[in-house]
Amino acid sequence: MSSKNVVDDLVAKLKRRQLVGSSAVAQETLKLMIVVISKAPLSTVNQLIDLVKSVGQKLVAANPTEPAVGNIVRRVLHVIREEYRDAENNTNKQGELTAPPSLTTSSSMYNLLGDPTSQQAVYGRYSHALRNNIIQEVKDIRIELETIYDNIKNQASLHIHSNEIIMTIGKSKTVEEFLKMAASKRKFQVLVAETAPSYQGQEMALELSKAGIETTVIPDSAVFAVMSRVNKVILGTHAVLANGGLVAITGTHMMAAAAKHHSTPVVVCTGLYKLSPLYPYDDDSFTVNINPDAVLGFEEGDLIEKVTVANPYYDYVSPDFVNLFITNQGGHPPSYLYRLIVENYHPDDHSL
Amino acid sequence: MPPKERVEAEQVLQAVVLADSFDQRFQPITLETARCLLPLCNMPLISYTFEFLAVAGVEEIFVFCCSHADKVKEFVKEYRKESSITIHTIVSPESMSVGDAMRELDAKQLIRTDFILVTGDVVSNMKLDKVLEEHRARRAVDKNAIMTMVLKKASSKHRSRSVGDGSIFVLDQKTKECLHYQPVKAFSSTREDRRLQMSMEVFEKHPEIQIRNDLIDCQIDVCSVEVPALFTENFDYQDIRSDFVHGILTSDLLGKTIHFQEVNDVYAARVRSTQMYDAISKDIISRWTFPMVPDSNLGTSGDRYECRRGLVYKEKSVVLSRTCVVEEKVVIGANTQVAESSVLSNCVIGKNCKIGANVKIDNAYIWDNVTIKDNTQMTQCIIASNAVIEENVKIGKGSMISFNVIIGANSIIPPFTRITALPEEDEDELESDEALVGPTGRGRAFTEAEDSDDEDDETDPRNKLVNKLAYDLEQIKLAAQEQESASEFESEASDVEEDEFDPVEDLNREVAQTLDRAFNENHDVDIAALELNTLRMASNSNFHEMRLRIIPGVLRHIDHAARPGAGKTVKEVLTRWGPLIGKMIHDEQDQVDGLFILQSCCAVQLEDGHKVFGPSLRYFYDEDILEEDAILGWYHSSRSRDGGPAELRLREIAAPLIAFLEAPDSDDEDEDDDDDSEEEEDE
Repeated sequence: MSSKNVVDDLVAKLKRRQLVGSSAVAQETLKLMIVVISKAPLSTVNQLIDLVKSVGQKLVAANPTEPAVGNIVRRVLHVIREEYRDAENNTNKQGELTAPPSLTTSSSMYNLLGDPTSQQAVYGRYSHALRNNIIQEVKDIRIELETIYDNIKNQASLHIHSNEIIMTIGKSKTVEEFLKMAASKRKFQVLVAETAPSYQGQEMALELSKAGIETTVIPDSAVFAVMSRVNKVILGTHAVLANGGLVAITGTHMMAAAAKHHSTPVVVCTGLYKLSPLYPYDDDSFTVNINPDAVLGFEEGDLIEKVTVANPYYDYVSPDFVNLFITNQGGHPPSYLYRLIVENYHPDDHSL
Repeated sequence: MPPKERVEAEQVLQAVVLADSFDQRFQPITLETARCLLPLCNMPLISYTFEFLAVAGVEEIFVFCCSHADKVKEFVKEYRKESSITIHTIVSPESMSVGDAMRELDAKQLIRTDFILVTGDVVSNMKLDKVLEEHRARRAVDKNAIMTMVLKKASSKHRSRSVGDGSIFVLDQKTKECLHYQPVKAFSSTREDRRLQMSMEVFEKHPEIQIRNDLIDCQIDVCSVEVPALFTENFDYQDIRSDFVHGILTSDLLGKTIHFQEVNDVYAARVRSTQMYDAISKDIISRWTFPMVPDSNLGTSGDRYECRRGLVYKEKSVVLSRTCVVEEKVVIGANTQVAESSVLSNCVIGKNCKIGANVKIDNAYIWDNVTIKDNTQMTQCIIASNAVIEENVKIGKGSMISFNVIIGANSIIPPFTRITALPEEDEDELESDEALVGPTGRGRAFTEAEDSDDEDDETDPRNKLVNKLAYDLEQIKLAAQEQESASEFESEASDVEEDEFDPVEDLNREVAQTLDRAFNENHDVDIAALELNTLRMASNSNFHEMRLRIIPGVLRHIDHAARPGAGKTVKEVLTRWGPLIGKMIHDEQDQVDGLFILQSCCAVQLEDGHKVFGPSLRYFYDEDILEEDAILGWYHSSRSRDGGPAELRLREIAAPLIAFLEAPDSDDEDEDDDDDSEEEEDE
């Protein structure tokens, strides 16, 4: 299969929602990126960046509500830029050091105030060695993706203490692993909101109880009522936006708001690949309305002509509801996310 | 690709898409393009079908085109570039039905394994893998399970149910077998339409069955290779449901079975009529078909729709003026402009349209490149591509305006008008109807050819009306139905009479015919009796009914003017055919009854009945068909004394015989002589 076919294949899968869930999406995107980079017969790095960007645009357009796609593409672009710079620095060491060390440019005050046009870097020579280095780095990202759960769950014992009552919502693999890890050392109780209308919370509760955790399923409406007894809210998320806001399963906003009211700490477990440099200019832009069948059965017939049924899949949770992010690189407060974004993405790539 | 498919690499999943609907419900629009290329929410109908098949994992699609094959082919060619599926087009302009298409398919021998058969107008977000799996599992066990139909549950008044195309399924939930199928029409005026007939064997074989009318049949079938072959064998099959399924299930010889799969939480429907077009458009906008919604941008034309609050879908390049109001459930295609103070609600607007100021559009479907000028109002209509609607036009509900039509300024288009810009069939140039489209307009009213081949079996014209009318919304349907309901009741009433009357008439006719045949062809009495008995059982009647018909029937055969030897004199007829009557008479009660019939028949129905009565009575007595007790019983009963003078006179005629019978111990021979002389007297 040529790389165009591979791209089309993934685009179709994303469009048709055959591929969902940020983790799966991220891994598929990365695989595709490796194929694209290794098959592209290009002479300059600029061309490579343009190619990766154009593929990225296609993928993002295929399903704009999966920010993980864009994030992975940006990470790859960042890797390409870094590798190129390293290679240039190495060659220039022999001669004169002409280019300023650009790694720090994006975060320096000079950059914020200076003329951005002068910063347009030129990416030239695309050598074979450079390509190998890039592919190696991209493969490192892949390893990072694979070990994300381990890295996050190893922090569990720092955050969950004995006899605590933890509340969660929805079914998140990250949270599940996190809680299971904690359960291997400590004894605590978990309350899971059932998460209507998808009822993922019920599945989550089942998984947790299989692992021997004392689990209780509560209706979503009871979240506020029992919040006063809860020590900590641990959430999974679909995406983290640049301001620290979350795109997470419906009901999360309600739970976070209840937690804030009771001053219960809210902890979000997330892989770094979910961190997106995009800002939520509009509450609706990252949500997706799915088939309303679960809210009002389609066979209701007469009624569905007369009412509009909305079934949003995601909530937007503003950053002031979140106290701590636990990523594969450790725990960060929401105010620190800008730093992670600078470290992981190049500012030129924020809009693909 | 999932690993499972790699294992069965040789089994490429195939699908057959019938790109023709074989009906004319979308005329005049379908005069100019194929039904499956009509845009539904700005995406050609057939793309929805392709998408559905792609999700199902189909790797090879055969598109069967009949009308406008070139256009379908062109579209498929474009589509193929963007898609990883192999798509072939088969052109067969002479195919007139699904049956023809299947026979063509069989002739071409393109199908190698089980395949999915759908029409080119299916919209569904179903994942077929489970259906396929079950079908294959069933096939592995039983080679006769040739087909699996996918049925979706929905309540009776559901908007996605096609009004004219209902169906009744008789199902066995345990074995997932479909036992019987019958189409249901919206208005069933004939008795056959209103009845469900099925073989009693169904009840013997299946302890538990369901008779259901709450299923949407979206004609998504998983068929085995035998299906096209069966169509070839039964060359009169046209429709996949009413002919094929019905035929297979009612045939004892084939022994094939058809299964079903009931789906609940997915969407599936077919754009069968303009009414369904409206309903499915609304379902798509309301996201029931997710992920097949405009903002998934599934089409190949590079759409970039975004979904906003209130289910408003629009492209980035849409220009909305500051004061225009876009209400709920609107789709607006790329580069469309909407001017000041216009109000849009529940509508779909295509690409590159220009909508003027103060325009009101409600529930309308406007395709690409349409220009609508200021102050125009329209509700519940379809406006095809490149049409121009000038200033101050009002378009009534249910109208269809075909390609390139121009509606002149200040025109008022009455409801349910269909306007086309194509010239009449026998003319070269279009003659515009100025009264309709105004002096600057272009177009003529379209009326459908009266006898459309596809629907000639529909005896009730209202059934056609439903599909035509019903692309309009609920009120219109209601209005139409109210209007119809009066006549509906009338026909109902007349039907009830018919129900009681019909079998009687039938039996009368049949008996008369059987007797005539017997007389003319000189049948044996036994054979005639056998035939009449069969009739009796077939019509579920009793011997009394038969006597009522046979006695007069036989006696009527007597011709008083005939000369002896022609077989028509009283004596000859009685000796020849009397035993036939005898076969209808068994015990004493029958005999009395027979006598009453004989009496009333001779008195009322026959001319010169009195001449027949005596000899008949005597003959029956002689032949021991009527016994002494019965005759006496009749004579002395009060009923024989009732009635008009004719009846009484017959009683008088019988008096000598009665006297004779009541006389003690008469000699047999005497009796005979006596009888003979009496008979001669009568003659």
